[in-house]
Amino acid sequence: MAENNANGHAIDMRDAFGQTLVELGKQYPNMIMLDADLHTSSKATMFKNAYPERFVQVGIAEQNLFGISAGLALSGFMPFPSTFAVFATRRALDQIAISICFPNLNVKIPGSYVGLPTSRAGASHNCIEDIAVMRALPNMRVADPADGADLRAIMRAAAEVHGPVYFRIARLAMPPIFGEDHKFEWGKGVTLREGRDVTLFGTGIMTTFCLNAADLLVADRISAEVVHLGSIKPIDSELIIDSVTRTGCAVTAENATINGGFGAAVMEVLGENCPVPVQRIGVRDRWADSGGIKELFTHHGMQPEDIAAAARKVIAQKQGVRV
Amino acid sequence: MQISPEKLSELNEMAYQIRRLSVEMITYAKWGHIGGSFSMAEILSTLYFYVMSVKPEKPDWGSRDRLVLSKAHGSPALYAVMALRGYYPIEKVYTYCELGGFEGHTDMARTPGLESSGGPLGMGLSVAVGMALAMRFKENVRGRVFCILGDGETNEGNVWEAAMSAAHYHLDNLITVVDYNKVMAKGFVWDEMAIEPFADKWRAFGWDVVEVDGHDLPELAEAFHRARWVLPRGKPIVVIAHTVKGKGVEMAEFNYKWHTHAPDPATADAMLKELARAYGRPEQGYSKLGEPEVKENFYGGE
Repeated sequence: MAENNANGHAIDMRDAFGQTLVELGKQYPNMIMLDADLHTSSKATMFKNAYPERFVQVGIAEQNLFGISAGLALSGFMPFPSTFAVFATRRALDQIAISICFPNLNVKIPGSYVGLPTSRAGASHNCIEDIAVMRALPNMRVADPADGADLRAIMRAAAEVHGPVYFRIARLAMPPIFGEDHKFEWGKGVTLREGRDVTLFGTGIMTTFCLNAADLLVADRISAEVVHLGSIKPIDSELIIDSVTRTGCAVTAENATINGGFGAAVMEVLGENCPVPVQRIGVRDRWADSGGIKELFTHHGMQPEDIAAAARKVIAQKQGVRV
Repeated sequence: MQISPEKLSELNEMAYQIRRLSVEMITYAKWGHIGGSFSMAEILSTLYFYVMSVKPEKPDWGSRDRLVLSKAHGSPALYAVMALRGYYPIEKVYTYCELGGFEGHTDMARTPGLESSGGPLGMGLSVAVGMALAMRFKENVRGRVFCILGDGETNEGNVWEAAMSAAHYHLDNLITVVDYNKVMAKGFVWDEMAIEPFADKWRAFGWDVVEVDGHDLPELAEAFHRARWVLPRGKPIVVIAHTVKGKGVEMAEFNYKWHTHAPDPATADAMLKELARAYGRPEQGYSKLGEPEVKENFYGGE
């Protein structure tokens, strides 16, 4: 489990989000924050306190949240409309698609409360389909950070590029993988650990789980390569192909549904370029539940042990064994 | 407020040209919305030739007024009025619905001077609220944002989210115009989903309301003058313009069958001649009558 990782001091992703908002607010005078009655949960409050004149409260009205953001972007502002990922990508999908993405407006959309670790709110609040939905929209960029430094780098990169961006913020403290000087580049992945037998592709908090799985596989004398793909769209096809050409099989891991999401994006690249055995780790076509965080990851088969088991399976498949 | 006979005559001429060009482009494209284009001909003529402060030669002029067409299926009328106002050559309207040309609904990337992209109903007022807020942040006190809503689209909850927020933020620089043409895609408003008491709904949401005959040019001019200069007092303003869907051509008036329906060339020719007679002009029919038809037929319709 992520919080048991002893690599360093765990940083709450939401704190990194709030702090980076304040930093960007200083750098970009045209940045404006909009909220739909959730700022203390998302920690957008930090921006509200720093720049109250650039904070717009729209109440519990997500469709209006994104429509107003479009109007502000059309007037030269860089809006950050903030709400839980479910309300952004389910409730207001049409507004995000047609008012924002279609005209390629400069709106940056943070999705809070993603995947399994979202307190005990249950299926209605655990966003598992946002990666699949957002990456289907033309012009939209999609990113899922591994740790606090990655989130900061993604937010900076989001502000630097013109156009709509969707990025995820897990409600979890993650051990640091990257240093403070970490840079994020759209369409570029990072090889965190080199290996020969299998590639573990992770995005978001699941990259830490992949690293832990790679540790577990050492006992079986399996050398696993771990690649973090924070940029889900555009995705680093070159790195994916290069790694798998050497290892011959892959496992993907995402804190979301496997249907149409990150694993599917990796498989699209592999299927079109170098088909190899692949297993996907993620929520398997079911709703997320209320429950403890560890309990939920176990229940949905998304623990490092599950990733390691999937790795053994694809290695066997690679060797021609039917599993 | 004074409006000269010459100005009124110009607005009337432009309303005629908006209708004429709408029929031309819808017929040529073999797709489009005649009813909802005709019902706002006078509204658009008054806005673009009397009310709005814009510079067609410099569409991104910072101090311009803005218009969001929330009922984006009425794009033919908007493309027409913008051509007439000088944003692009009139011939360009014939690219309507062509690959790479003007979109069936609105696409700002392809149309100089268009302020937003749309299509799905109920979304435009939120965008207009964002623009009006931006004007406030930029301390632009003279600028106005105009948003044209269809009556049927006020069935959408998003409209009322936007209405609530406009009042909350005291956006009296936002003037919404409802093209209340009484007819939706498949029937009358009161049969499909009743919206009355309509003015009361807006008042209850904290708006000032003006009701006009949306085909009466002096009434429209007076209403917009009041909305812009007399009424602002910390409340957004809605002009409920009572109109006739398809106004100007008898077979299309109040007829939902002409909501999405392209006339064949002969019908278009008859429509345009009827329009010309109504405006006391020499009979001018469909300009492309008799041209070989190369496009596939898709009349849409019901």
